[in-house]
Amino acid sequence: MDPATKRPVQGSAKLVMDSYAEYALEVAIQLKEKHPGSKVVAICVGDKPTDDVLRRAYALTADEAVRVWDPAWADLDSQAVAHILARTIQKLGGADLVLTGREAGDIERGVVGPTLAEELGCACATIVARVEAVEGGTAVVRREVDGGYALVSTRLPAVLTITNDETNVPRLPKVKDLMMAARKPITTLGAADLDLDPARLASPLELVDLYIPVQEGQCEIIEGDDGPAKAAALARRLHELKLV
Amino acid sequence: MEAATRPVFWHIEHSWFMYVLMVPSLAIFCYGLYRRYKFWRLGRPVARFDRPWERLRRVLVHVLGHGRFLRESIAGLMHGLIFWSMLLLFIGTVVVAIDTDLRIPIMRGWFYLIYQSLVLDVVGALGMVGLGIALVRRYVLRVPRLQHNREGKAPDPSDWVTLLSLFLLFVQGFALEAIRIAANPQPWDALSVVGYALAVPLRGLSQEGLIAAYQFFWWFHTVTVFGWIAYLPWSKMAHFFTSLLDVYFSDLRPPGEGTLQPIDFEKAERLGVSAITDLTWKDLLDLDACTACGRCQDVCPAYAAGQPLSPKNLILDLRDYVHAHAPALLAGKATVEELPPLVGGAIKEETLWACTTCRACMEECPVFIEHVPKIVEMRRHLVMEQASAPETLQEALKSLEDRAHPYKGATASRTDWCEGLEVPLASEVGGEIEVLYWVGCTAAFDPRNQKVARALAQLLHHAGVKFAILGPEEACCGDPARRMGNEFLYDMIARQNIEILRQYRPKRIVTACPHCQNALGNEYRQFGADFEVVHHTQLLKELVESGRLKVEAGSLGKVTFHDPCYLGRWQGEYEAPRDLLARAGADRVEMERSRSRSFCCGAGGAHAWMEETGGGPRVNQIRAREAAATGAQAIATACPFCMQMMEDGVKTTAGEEGPRVLDVAELLLQAMEETGPHTRQAQAAR
Ligand code: SF4
Ligand code: SF4
Repeated sequence: MDPATKRPVQGSAKLVMDSYAEYALEVAIQLKEKHPGSKVVAICVGDKPTDDVLRRAYALTADEAVRVWDPAWADLDSQAVAHILARTIQKLGGADLVLTGREAGDIERGVVGPTLAEELGCACATIVARVEAVEGGTAVVRREVDGGYALVSTRLPAVLTITNDETNVPRLPKVKDLMMAARKPITTLGAADLDLDPARLASPLELVDLYIPVQEGQCEIIEGDDGPAKAAALARRLHELKLV
Repeated sequence: MEAATRPVFWHIEHSWFMYVLMVPSLAIFCYGLYRRYKFWRLGRPVARFDRPWERLRRVLVHVLGHGRFLRESIAGLMHGLIFWSMLLLFIGTVVVAIDTDLRIPIMRGWFYLIYQSLVLDVVGALGMVGLGIALVRRYVLRVPRLQHNREGKAPDPSDWVTLLSLFLLFVQGFALEAIRIAANPQPWDALSVVGYALAVPLRGLSQEGLIAAYQFFWWFHTVTVFGWIAYLPWSKMAHFFTSLLDVYFSDLRPPGEGTLQPIDFEKAERLGVSAITDLTWKDLLDLDACTACGRCQDVCPAYAAGQPLSPKNLILDLRDYVHAHAPALLAGKATVEELPPLVGGAIKEETLWACTTCRACMEECPVFIEHVPKIVEMRRHLVMEQASAPETLQEALKSLEDRAHPYKGATASRTDWCEGLEVPLASEVGGEIEVLYWVGCTAAFDPRNQKVARALAQLLHHAGVKFAILGPEEACCGDPARRMGNEFLYDMIARQNIEILRQYRPKRIVTACPHCQNALGNEYRQFGADFEVVHHTQLLKELVESGRLKVEAGSLGKVTFHDPCYLGRWQGEYEAPRDLLARAGADRVEMERSRSRSFCCGAGGAHAWMEETGGGPRVNQIRAREAAATGAQAIATACPFCMQMMEDGVKTTAGEEGPRVLDVAELLLQAMEETGPHTRQAQAAR
């Protein structure tokens, strides 16, 4: 974490795909396998190093990969990203289903999906665990709701934000696909290629602070003559600390 | 005595007919061997023709000398008696052939008396003793490892046919000799001790009766011998030849360089083994050399823990598959794609995942069959071609890809363990690095093993060794990826590590993890690296011997050392840790199985990231009980995975009362703190 810019520092860590995006990609690939003739296009807003993430999508058998970036976009917020994605999707000719992660694994805002639906003027189902069926212009999806599930049917096109589920654990790529992924072309688009509204790129939100709370550990040994006595002492202490 | 000999075709007329019988017998025999040879030729090439003298030496030691067999005295002796007697009897037969067919009179005089009469009679009797032991072990004592235990498969009839037919051939030989002696006594007969003794009760019988019996037995013997010869290559007796070849063509390289071979990803069309033609010819020869003796199964930790793996059955299942389908391939009637699946079919996936790659089977197999490469090659197919692996392994693999270590969810940094100790980073120290300490992922991220790393760092400080670590530049050595079958990932990791290590050019690398040591020091050689990598116990021993580290005997009490598979069997180091323990004052006791016969802790072969599914006691529990049975207060080990496994094993079998598990470095430091001048310093650093 860089205290001055309030941004995480990457260091030598590798750029990897966001974990919710991985679930979304897995759902997309499963749908493609179920519906021959359909196509999965992976889109990413990011600079050159994010190619690695798109290559991963290729390795997991996405059909096309598109990276959108402009050097002027140093610091995009979720709304701007949704706007860029929407214009990109329109430029590519639209899609029946747009899948995103339920939220970014790091910043956890969950804004991109719904805003994207808004931009595209289509339906949106959030926190979708499973896509049960896609048929004749509608999709039936299973949303996670507090303590259970809701089955929702939606008209296509639609945006689904995907959450993790036992049915969408990301697969391992096959080595052949990994090797081929390195050779596949990644389409790059810039601001000039898209019909963007500058007003929507400017962020109304400002990040005031980003910090990791300091954690301190303390060790206390609970004395007692035997098991029950120790347990009683421990219970007392936990009460004192207002932990139970 | 000069004239001593015996008539070969005594009272046998039309002996030419024997040669007529010989022709079909030898034809069937040769065809049987040729058929197997054709199977082997289906395999991929592998270089096993180098260093012929060394190979011959291995044959002399382990076939003629029975080196490996005698690791088990009774079974070894049993086989030795049969083998040596048959060998000497065969030489006796050759002598007869030279004398009779080539008409070179060598079966005469003292040679006849000593060798053909006395020696052959004695070894014949000993051979029968050997066969008797074999029959008793298999059918009376019913030694478990010799029993048929393959579900859905019929037992091999040649198991009993072999023993019984040999026994009968020996009996016939003695019977013929006894009848001849009874009917045609000679002054030197007593030298044929067995035949002479058996002849005694026959003496009263009529001459004609004896001759008729002799003629009958002679022809009976001739027919059965030729039948037996024809049957040889079609039965388990084929191992007379296949085992010999298998030992000759065995891998001469040290395990770290030989066992697993790199893949040329640019050229390879198929990754791993999933068909007969993916195996090497040596793999296929291996299958035909197995005698189902079960030694490998007896030492296999996975089998002992009730997991679905017996190395013996793995080899036999592979063999059945090859024998069933190779003919169709050879005849061009099927392609490998059309055959029923090998991986996941003939060999179950669970079987492949159960192996800890401990090498115990390979160390034990008397004919040098190589189980581990076959298992890992089939895992390669599963992981790289089918992208299939148990879920926990997938997580470890993903973490390796994303975070360069296999611990999903670990939040510590690579240098957290050395907080408060002065441990410089290689990138910070200038000049030559005397020793680069390769910490390894487990010591960096696992709290228990972090303590071992701290102990080692302190010992190096005490010895005044200038060392550095890579810190954030260190990545996994790749061993887990390789054992899991992801050679592609291993390949990438290894090449990156080599590049980083070459930048710093350390004079030596030390590590407390035998897996890292084997990867960096041995397996990276396959990519042209040449690093001197020592295990921490080896470096510490050197430091103690040179006086840089002063150790006096402390009061460590009774300590037993658990040999890590990757330090012992994989790299041949058994003494350095024991030596250090002795110097530190430990009262050393050995477990029932130790050194090259050490029993795995259950973590190798990427099992540190897998759940055991056997249902019975787990591998580590079996080993922990064995360690506790020595009465030791402490179990010493020298591998971070053994540490985790043994601690867990002790906890779940003996609880708090069980022995403590400590790394050799920790015990050494403990002894030094008790006795040495470093005491205060060391406490301050804690
Ligand atoms: S390497 Fe070890 S676990 Fe694997 S089959 Fe051999 S003995 Fe069993
Ligand atoms: S593989 Fe070797 S040790 Fe195992 S049963 Fe076959 S011959 Fe015996």
